[in-house]
Amino acid sequence: MIRHDVIVLGAGCAGMRAAIEAKRRGVDVAVISKLHPTRSHSGAAEGGINAALGNATEDSSDSHAFDTIKGSDYLGDQDAIEVFAQEAPNDIYELEHMGAIFTRAADGKLAQRPFGAAGAPRTVYSADITGHVLIHVLYEQLVKHEVKVYEEFFATQVVVDEGRCAGVIAWDTQKGGLHAIEANHVILATGGVGRMYYGTTNAFACTGDGMSLAWRAGVPLKDMEFLQFHPTTLKSNGVLITEGCRGEGGYLRNKDGDRFMVGDAPNAMELASRDVVSRAEWKEIADGRGVDGCVLLDLTHLGWKKIKTRLPGSRELAIDYAGVDPVETPIPVRPGAHYMMGGVDCDLWGETMVPGLWAAGEVACVSIHGANRLGGNSLMETIVFGRRAGQAAAERVLEQGDTGARIEPGVLADEDRRIAGILNNDQGERPGLLREELAKTMYDKAGVYRTEAALGECQEKVHELRERAKTLKLDDHGSVFNTDLTNALELISLLECADCLVTSALARKESRGAHSRLDHTERDDETWLKHTLNWCDDGEVRLDYRPVTITKHQPLARSY
Amino acid sequence: MTEIKNAHFTTLQGAYDTELMEATLRIRRWDPDTQRARFDTFTVTVPVTASVLDALDAIKDTRDGTLAYRKSCRMAVCGSCGMRIDGGAALACKTPMKKFVDAGHTITVSPMGNLPVIKDLVVDMAPFWEKIRAVKPYLDTKDEEVPDTEWRVSPEHHEMIHKESLCILCGCCVSECNSMESDPDFLGPAALAKAYRFVGDARDTDTRERLRDLNGAHGIWDCTRCYFCNQRCPKGVDPRDAIAKLGAESFKEGFVRDEGARHAKVFVDSTYKGGYLRETELVPKTIGPVNAVKDIPFALQLARAGKVPNPLSPHKAKDNDEVKRLWKLLEKEAKGAERPRAMHPDAVREG
Repeated sequence: MIRHDVIVLGAGCAGMRAAIEAKRRGVDVAVISKLHPTRSHSGAAEGGINAALGNATEDSSDSHAFDTIKGSDYLGDQDAIEVFAQEAPNDIYELEHMGAIFTRAADGKLAQRPFGAAGAPRTVYSADITGHVLIHVLYEQLVKHEVKVYEEFFATQVVVDEGRCAGVIAWDTQKGGLHAIEANHVILATGGVGRMYYGTTNAFACTGDGMSLAWRAGVPLKDMEFLQFHPTTLKSNGVLITEGCRGEGGYLRNKDGDRFMVGDAPNAMELASRDVVSRAEWKEIADGRGVDGCVLLDLTHLGWKKIKTRLPGSRELAIDYAGVDPVETPIPVRPGAHYMMGGVDCDLWGETMVPGLWAAGEVACVSIHGANRLGGNSLMETIVFGRRAGQAAAERVLEQGDTGARIEPGVLADEDRRIAGILNNDQGERPGLLREELAKTMYDKAGVYRTEAALGECQEKVHELRERAKTLKLDDHGSVFNTDLTNALELISLLECADCLVTSALARKESRGAHSRLDHTERDDETWLKHTLNWCDDGEVRLDYRPVTITKHQPLARSY
Repeated sequence: MTEIKNAHFTTLQGAYDTELMEATLRIRRWDPDTQRARFDTFTVTVPVTASVLDALDAIKDTRDGTLAYRKSCRMAVCGSCGMRIDGGAALACKTPMKKFVDAGHTITVSPMGNLPVIKDLVVDMAPFWEKIRAVKPYLDTKDEEVPDTEWRVSPEHHEMIHKESLCILCGCCVSECNSMESDPDFLGPAALAKAYRFVGDARDTDTRERLRDLNGAHGIWDCTRCYFCNQRCPKGVDPRDAIAKLGAESFKEGFVRDEGARHAKVFVDSTYKGGYLRETELVPKTIGPVNAVKDIPFALQLARAGKVPNPLSPHKAKDNDEVKRLWKLLEKEAKGAERPRAMHPDAVREG
């Protein structure tokens, strides 16, 4: 039996930051990830990371907190957002001391750029490859601190023993075989679930594994109906073109060349919050003012030099995947599924209702983002709450010692039978085709705009797909690098998360943040200023609700 | 809220409309159980915008679920899908299929080179990560007092490591590295680009120790300068240029004893003196007179094959003064380029 004090599941920014913190505090920590750490999707984040350093103009943590609360459409928990905004600046300095290569201002300080719905230029960045820079600096620290990494291990179960976290069971993708890896503390940092949608910015790996693991282990998923659509994604493969393009002065135009944001956000225009911009685009396209199912992101007036120095990555992506050079031609873009505001319910230190099971980053719902996340806040969340989870789990180990929670041999044997059942099955449908059916269903019926009727059809379809996915046809029954098997396991996670999303969305009869109901167009604070909780009831979704924490800011109408 | 006119508003009309094409790929398979290789050819229908990775996905989803390859971001930033396409390493996600389809060409897809194959297109990256770990791949500011805020680094100094900072550790350079093919222990282009990322970082104070280590066996001087790494890098890192910069930094720090360094120095000295490379001096000055004597039989063999230039010819440029002027100009410029240093914020305030 392998055993560690703390296991971190997932090796993106949140997971690596948590592992580094736990290791620094002197406990035995190991990282388990289905990918090599630098392959994690945090690395695809482009625009930046928000902290009120005040390097560009005067700024304050209070202002950062208020913008985040307003952006969340008042569904974010204000105590959590205050902690987040206050701790962000020090975490940025620490990343810089680790070696992060951030873009500099002329005075040698960290440069800060404006981002959507922010009261000041608050976004620290590295050109338009900020996530790439962070994932590499954190991996460097992982190497420096000699953290053990189980690379290309796919976790199939979080084991709970008498109400306490006991560790995980994971499949070794490279060699094959299931392993029980015991730990009193498991930090989930597995990222998002964008792959349940057809048009998505997310990597293939973003399949909600950690959400599904927690849900099955008895932890509720919170606010799953709030899925952010990013306004500027490419039609061909969903690849994201950073908000930094608009931060640097890019325009959104319809087929007539008009800057249509003047209708919904006459002040902030293109830099309104993401939900607002996505809805405006959707309306333009649906009402026939789009171009080939897209609107146009126009950077041509920024000039060659600015595009080359500030947005080189976006230019490369537009050339590679849309076939246009933004120096000369506007980029066709549309809204794509981007970020799950909801996730594993946890407290301000990341701990869930199961003692010893923690969550941080996109997999978690603390909740900072409420009904809508601001650009630049997700990378910051991974660092602040990754660090906090690593710190809290390590402190618990040092205070408490062994809790006695164990993975009993019978539990491993049962899981072995379940996985063997999937591995050896050659009847039914292929996982890849079912995944595509799910993704199109979600994009068509639970997208930027939602209705009772569409969500109802969506739910029915998701239930049908969950049933059909009980027998998946695998071609590969081998043990070495069997991605047929991992695709099947990922599909099951996606379907469970999709069920939580659509069930929550159907129930929430209001429009708030990213959740826009055409049949309930107003925000309804009286009934719906509350968090949705999705419990797993013998594999079915059961809904429950919890009040939002409000400290200083009573809900106001939200306009930009 | 703007009034909604379209009846099908939850669904975007034409969301999936796309032109399709037939793509054919020949794929090298490796079965880990039987330890045997074979080639399979597949034709699949994909959108005209499809990458090689999209075509592999179409094969896996509809034709053969046993096909193994790595993938994740499909936007050329995670570095998972490095593989050989028609014999040269590339990211499958960054290689469009259409140009091959238009040309009526069937591409051959095979695993990256210089790394052991696990299954089909999946290679064992463990030796690759071992090399990365070997160059001490993290910032070391040693005993410097860590400031309360950020280190101050000028935008120009920040720019010095920009290219190296783009590396996604995909392994395409390593796959095509000629030196690694003959010496698997050579640190290789990816690890050396990573090394320069720290040597060139204004905040790092471990420069001398780093350069000393990189001047050891299997270090920077083992690069054959074939430039395949520059050619195959999908991110414009240009690892060979990073290795050249490490060489220049090594000279500044006085690391000139390695054979490779001496070899480079003969080029410099010889051109300074005569404007030309004097090949007859190259071997003794690189490997030392004793070893050169041992190599005389080999030199004679070369001479018989007509591979040795006449040692008695003057081999001097007509206007050597101009060469010397150029040389001094370069030397002056190099001396002017001081190593960048990060500033402590307190020092900035005092200054």
